[in-house]
Amino acid sequence: MNLVLTKSDWAKYPFVPEATEYIKTLGLKVDSLSRPEFEPILDRAEGRVKEALLTNPPKVSYLEHNEEVELSSFPVAVVIAAATADDFIKKRYALAEARRAYDLLRREDKWKVLEVAKAFGWRVNVVTDEASAPRGYQLKLHFVDFLRNVKAFHESNWKLINRVMLGGEVYLTTYEAARLLQEEIRRHIEAKLRIDVRPILPPNVAQMVEELRLIRRRRFGKVYTEEIRFPKEAVVEAFPPCIRNLYEAAASGSHLSHAGRFALTSFLLNAGMPPSKIVDLFRSSSDFNERMTRYQVEHIAGLRGSRTRYTPYACDTLRTHGLCPGEENLCRGLRHPLTYYRRKLRMKAASKRSRPADQV
Amino acid sequence: MTVDRESFIKSKFREFYESSSSMVEAPPSIEMREFGFLLFKDRVMVRHKGFRDVESLRSFLRQIVPLHAYYSAAYYAAPEEPMERKGWVGADLYFDIDADHIPTPCQKVHDVWVCRGCGFKGRGTPPERCPLCSQRRFEEKTWPCEVCLEAAKRETMKLVDILLKDFGFSQDEIKVSFSGHRGYHVHIEKDEIKDLDSAARKEIVDYITGTGLDAKFHGLEAAGEGSRVLVGPHLGDSGWRGRIARGVYDLLLKADGEHLEELGLRRNVVKTIVENREVIIRSWESGGPWGLIRGVGLESWKAIIRKGVEAQAAKIDTVVTTDIHRLIRLENTLHGKTGLLKVGFPTDKIEDFDPFKDAVAFKRGEVTVFIEEAPEFRIWEETYGPFKGEKAELPVAAALLLLCKGMAEVAQ
Ligand code: SF4
Ligand SMILES: [Zn+2]
Ligand SMILES: [Zn+2]
Repeated sequence: MNLVLTKSDWAKYPFVPEATEYIKTLGLKVDSLSRPEFEPILDRAEGRVKEALLTNPPKVSYLEHNEEVELSSFPVAVVIAAATADDFIKKRYALAEARRAYDLLRREDKWKVLEVAKAFGWRVNVVTDEASAPRGYQLKLHFVDFLRNVKAFHESNWKLINRVMLGGEVYLTTYEAARLLQEEIRRHIEAKLRIDVRPILPPNVAQMVEELRLIRRRRFGKVYTEEIRFPKEAVVEAFPPCIRNLYEAAASGSHLSHAGRFALTSFLLNAGMPPSKIVDLFRSSSDFNERMTRYQVEHIAGLRGSRTRYTPYACDTLRTHGLCPGEENLCRGLRHPLTYYRRKLRMKAASKRSRPADQV
Repeated sequence: MTVDRESFIKSKFREFYESSSSMVEAPPSIEMREFGFLLFKDRVMVRHKGFRDVESLRSFLRQIVPLHAYYSAAYYAAPEEPMERKGWVGADLYFDIDADHIPTPCQKVHDVWVCRGCGFKGRGTPPERCPLCSQRRFEEKTWPCEVCLEAAKRETMKLVDILLKDFGFSQDEIKVSFSGHRGYHVHIEKDEIKDLDSAARKEIVDYITGTGLDAKFHGLEAAGEGSRVLVGPHLGDSGWRGRIARGVYDLLLKADGEHLEELGLRRNVVKTIVENREVIIRSWESGGPWGLIRGVGLESWKAIIRKGVEAQAAKIDTVVTTDIHRLIRLENTLHGKTGLLKVGFPTDKIEDFDPFKDAVAFKRGEVTVFIEEAPEFRIWEETYGPFKGEKAELPVAAALLLLCKGMAEVAQ
C-alpha cells in the first residue's frame, strides 16, 4: 500500500519535499510580498512566528479551512523568522512548527505517519501481522534513524536497551513515531533557518521583522542570560560520590582513565575551579606532563580548539563508563552530578543557618 | 642485558616487516585516516601521520619498525593536522573486548602488580591502596593466558550474536580480529553507522552491556489490571526479552542458596527456590516462573534479572566505542607486548580461532633465553614452562613472548 500525500496533507506538513515543489510552482517572490493579493499569506506567515513567541510551550496552530494559505505561508514565515537573525526566535519557531506537526501527526493513522517519515528519508516500515512480530507496535524504524532523533529524550522507555529491536529495526507505536518525527522536523526547520543572509525585504515585511524582535525582547529579554551560580571556591565536601572518588584518586596520584579525567575536569570547571588549580590536582600522577595536562584542561574549558566549553557528563554517561559508585540517598532521581552538588550546597547552607548560636 | 633484549626484539620485528609488510592492508579510505606508531626508541608516539596509499604505509613500516602500529577508526578531512583542525567526517563502529574487563579466577595466578611507591608485590588485580605504604600507584603485569582469552572469546561471541540478531548486521559486515594480546576487536565499517555521534554510540554500548535495562519494558508486568500475579518474557523471545529469560533460567538452574542470598533475597524465598528447582525448570514450558514462586515479587525478580542480564550482556570496554577519535591497532602488525599478530578472521570461524596458533608471526628459528619467571604457555601444539630462574632454548615465537613481557633476557 503506497499512499501519496494529498494537498490537504501538504497544508498540514508544508515542509515535506512534495509540498516544497508545489509551492515553487506558485511563483511566490519575496519582493512581491507587498502586493495586496498576497496579504492573507503574509498575515498568516507573521501569525505563525508570533504564535511561536506568544504561546507556552510554543505551538503554531493549524487553520483547517484555508489550505492554500496554510501551505504557502510556511516558506514566507521561514523567511521572516530567518530575517530576525535572532537565534532564540529561530529555535523557538522551529520548535513551535514541529509541535504543530506532532499534534496533527498523532491523530493520523500509521500509513500517513509512514509517508511523512519516508519524506525525511527514514528507513521505516509498517509492522505486518506475522505471528513472529512483537505485538502492540505499528511501525519499525532503522536503529540509526531512531538514535538520531531520540537524543533529547531522557525517559528510560526511550533508551535503546528498553526498546524491542530486531534485525536493526526498532519497534514503535504510531504515536511514538510521531513524537520522534517532531524532533526530525524541528531539526529540519532549524537547518532551513540557519542561513544567515538577511534578504532585502519590502518595507512592510521589514517592519514585521522589527516587531517580532521587539516582542522577543519584551517577553524573554533576561530569562536566558541568567547563569547558575556556584560559590567561588569548589566545595569538595559537597561533591557527589562519583566525583569525590575521582577527585581523591587524582589527588593521590592514581591513574585515571580518559573518561574519568574528562568527567572530573569538566565537573570542576563548572563548579568554578580555575584551570590552573585543576592542573595542579593532576601533578602527583606518575605520568604527569604539565604541557599536555594544561592543554587538555584548557581544551575542556573551551579556551582552546573548538572553543566550546564542555558540559560535564550526566549520571547516565558516568554509569556507562563505570564511574558511578552506586547511588547515594541524595542521588536518587538525579540525572546530573551538578544537581547533586547544588542540592548538597543548599542543604549545607540551610543547616548552617539553623545551627543554634552556642554550637560551633 | 636490557639493551640486548630490546635490540633482539627490534631485530625480529624488523625481519618481520621486511618480509611480511605486504600482509598489511589499507583500511578503507586510507587517505582519510590518521596513523600512529609507538617507536622503540624512548617509547615515543608518532601521531598525526597520513598515507595516500597502502604502499607508502608498508614502506614506512619497514623503515621505522614500530613497537605498535595504529590507525584511527575515524575518517578526517585532514588527518595530518592537529586534532582540532582535522575535520572529523565519521568513524567506524568499534568494540574492544579485553580480558582486563572480565574477571577470571586465574588472574590471581598469573597477573602481578608492583607498588610504585615501595615495591610491594602481589598477584591478581591491584588493591585500591598498597597495604604497605597505602599509595595508589601500581605497575601491572598481565598475561595473555588461554583461560582469560577463552573468556574474552565468549564475550566476543555474545557481542557478535547481538550485532547479528538485534542490530541486523550481516556476517560479512561484522569484522572480528584478535588484538595480539589479551582480547578481541569487533568492528563495522558500514556507511550508515559512520556519522553516529558519541551519544548515539553510548546508547549502543548500553544496549550491548545491558546498562539501564528495566524489565518492565520487556514484558515483566502484572498479569492483569490490579493482579498480583506476574507474567514475564519467554526463553524463545527475541532480543533482550529472550536474553532476560535465558539469563534467569541459567541462574535459577545453577545458583546455590548462598548466591541467591547475595542477591538480597530473603532466606525463605531462597529455600523455596532451591527446593522447587524441578518445578521452576518445568514452568518454562508454559508461562515461566514469574508468577510461580510465593514471596518472590517484582523487586526480587528485578534483582534476579539484573544478575541474569549481567551474564547475558557482552563485557566490552565502554570507552573505546564511545570515543570517536580512537586509534586502533592495525591488522597484521605485531603487538609489542607479545610479538603476536593482530589478525582478522571470519565471524563464523570464531569458535575455531586459536590465538596461540593463528596469531603466531615467527615460524622459524630458535633462541636461548634466561627466564626469570613465567607461567606455563603454549605455542602451536607445544607447551612450555612454567619457568623459574632457568635457561631454555625456545622457538623464536615463544622466546619473543617472554622477552616482550619482560620476563626473560637473551642468554649470551
Ligand atoms: S548517581 Fe550520579 S551523582 Fe550520584 S554517584 Fe552516580 S553518577 Fe554520581
Ligand atoms: Zn607501597
Ligand atoms: Zn587467565
